[in-house]
Amino acid sequence: MTERPATFRARWNGLKAGGNGETAHEVTADLTSILDSVDVPIVVVGRELTVAAFNQAAADALGLCLADIGQRPRDISAFAGFTGLEESCTEVITRGVESRIDVRAEAAWFVVRISPSTSASDQVAAVVLTFTDVTAFRAAVDQAIYERECTKAILNTVADPLVVVDADQRAQSGNRSFYTMFGVSAEERQRTSLYELGDGAFDCAPLRTQLQAAVAALSLEQLRDLLGGGPGFQPVEVDHVVTAKGERTFIVDSRPLSFPGHSERRALVRFHDITTRKQAQAAKDMRSEEELRRSEAFLAEGQRLSSTGSFSWKVATDAITWSEQLYRMYEIDMDVAVTLAALRARVHPDDLGLLESIFQQARDGANDLEWHYRLLMPDRSIKFLHAVAHATRGQDGQLEYLAAIQDVTGRRVSEEALAKARSKLANVARVTSLGVLTASIAHEITQPLSGIITNASTCLRMLDADPPNLAGARETARRTIRDGIRGSDVITRLRALFSREEYTLEPLDLNEVTREVIALTLSDLHRNRIALQSELADDLPTITGDRVQLQQVILNLLRNGSDAVADVHDRRRQLIVTTERDKNDEVRLRVRDTGVGVDPENLNHLLEAFYTTKSDGLGLGLSISQSIIERHHGRLWAESNDGPGTTFSFSIPSRPTGISDPASMGHL
Amino acid sequence: MTGRPSLVSVVDDDESVRESLPDLLRQWGFAAEAFSSAEAFLASEVLGETSCLLLDIVMPGMSGPDLQQELTRRRRKIPIVFITGHEEMPRSPLLVDGAAGCLVKPFSEAALLDAVSAALRGQILDP
Repeated sequence: MTERPATFRARWNGLKAGGNGETAHEVTADLTSILDSVDVPIVVVGRELTVAAFNQAAADALGLCLADIGQRPRDISAFAGFTGLEESCTEVITRGVESRIDVRAEAAWFVVRISPSTSASDQVAAVVLTFTDVTAFRAAVDQAIYERECTKAILNTVADPLVVVDADQRAQSGNRSFYTMFGVSAEERQRTSLYELGDGAFDCAPLRTQLQAAVAALSLEQLRDLLGGGPGFQPVEVDHVVTAKGERTFIVDSRPLSFPGHSERRALVRFHDITTRKQAQAAKDMRSEEELRRSEAFLAEGQRLSSTGSFSWKVATDAITWSEQLYRMYEIDMDVAVTLAALRARVHPDDLGLLESIFQQARDGANDLEWHYRLLMPDRSIKFLHAVAHATRGQDGQLEYLAAIQDVTGRRVSEEALAKARSKLANVARVTSLGVLTASIAHEITQPLSGIITNASTCLRMLDADPPNLAGARETARRTIRDGIRGSDVITRLRALFSREEYTLEPLDLNEVTREVIALTLSDLHRNRIALQSELADDLPTITGDRVQLQQVILNLLRNGSDAVADVHDRRRQLIVTTERDKNDEVRLRVRDTGVGVDPENLNHLLEAFYTTKSDGLGLGLSISQSIIERHHGRLWAESNDGPGTTFSFSIPSRPTGISDPASMGHL
Repeated sequence: MTGRPSLVSVVDDDESVRESLPDLLRQWGFAAEAFSSAEAFLASEVLGETSCLLLDIVMPGMSGPDLQQELTRRRRKIPIVFITGHEEMPRSPLLVDGAAGCLVKPFSEAALLDAVSAALRGQILDP
């Protein structure tokens, strides 16, 4: 409002001029200036409840105009929203006591102060209304209330109890969880010291220190230091807290709070409930500890049972870690730290070179290593070890070998024992089969002997005759010599069969080998009235093998065939021996009998040691024959014939890949 | 011995026996024939003329005892001296069955002569 209303001044003046004349007039003029310059609307209402005067701000802010002077407030449109204004004025005029009312006019809020203006007669002459616009303030308060409610709602959903404590560490304000957890009602919170909560569980030195620091009046710098991780603000774990929800574990954590304009310090205390996590962790710890313990026990037991130890070797530092079992295997006291030197000391002197080369390969970065070596124990006994090592890179990138070492002494001893037993068995089998042949052999020898005696007798008689029959004598003498040679051939063959014990590899003609065996067995077969037919192929390639061992096999097959047909009475007792070259350049020999045959289910067992269908056999012949054939890289098998009987066959490659292990063949 | 000499037949699958025995027998004045199998002897014409049979026990096909049984079945009473290379062969069952003797190879000239002579005299050896 730019217009300076003369009338207003006149009225103002009019109001005041009644008593004080000129001086009063000047004072009034000054007052008017002051009032007009005040930014607060001021309205004067006379005792008669009409507007007597108002200042410039009232015209500007409330919209009063000169026409309103002399009007009652209820009639003034500018006061339309000011409910109860006139009644309040009446009350002040009547009682002479200042009052305030909050009124709302359209979008604005005003606090109206109604002050009595007293005349000389102590009567209230007028009331002065000052209008303070509190719209912005009210909005700010509303906003604050709104925000406080939001915050409260949020805090109430936080599961962890939160509380603000005062300087005496008494609870001031907490979230819902705080009240329910600790069973504190909102009413009694003011009296509740934090240290009384949870049955006094929080009454401990670290927490007291922390909370006292949090509420101490500190400078910002000091606070910042503390907040920077000083010990006072380290979370404190408090166990066994008795709460409304049972015994719990909390991590208690506090932060100083400072409010502008509040000198008193407060602290926010947070109770982080870790009960569930802790229980789960405890269970898990227990489980993993148990699992680890079990796993270690398993490993140790496994190592013990399998006689396998393990060790790790860091190549760069020569640091060695040994398993318990390895200590046992090396028979070193577990208290002794193991060094490479200690390891070498036990190794059999003959194997030290090997071990050095292994270590060298390891240093050269070989990935996988495997070797056999021996230990020479203090009691001069020998242990056979089998080691397997694998290279790894540790977290530090250092080359490290992990090795498993197995004590195979027992196995080696068993293998040697087995080889010896096998050798003995083979010998037994040889003696047995030769024993059976004794009769046949005797016949082989008596036959020519018999011829020699008869022929020599005849010869003598022919010479003694008169005249002597010289031609007949010559003929019988020739026969004598022939039979002598025949007998000596038998001896030679027998010598070959008996004398050679060592395994000898030589190029062999399987037909020749077969014929020699047939010659030895023929009479035995005849004696049992078994016809032997041989069909030997002409084009057999030479094989490499042991003559005596192969003859034993053939002998065995013939003997089996002979036994198989022994009980046959209703048909021809016949054995057919066949040799042939098969498609893979293998040489095959078959012995086909017309015997009683073998049950299909027994056929599979025939080659097993000690399996026999005969009452007088050891059941070793076929099993040993099989080992012999296998050592010749061949195979031995049995099949039932289409007709009666069984056929046993073996095949041997004519060009062996090398009979690799003469030593092991020597066992048979 | 008058008239025709007695015929001694040898049945053996061993050729050297067939060669040598008849010659020796002839040196003693016997007539001798050799056969390589029992079947061949049964089929021969001399079956009826044979006074003594030197018979191998073990032969392919028909054995010595088989032949003995066959002869008994045909009621041909020819004294038989068995020849065997196998000492362990039981003698008794054969002899009980009427064999005149059994020679185990190698046998002497004298043993042969004794056995054949005894057979021709119709003696049956005590078991």
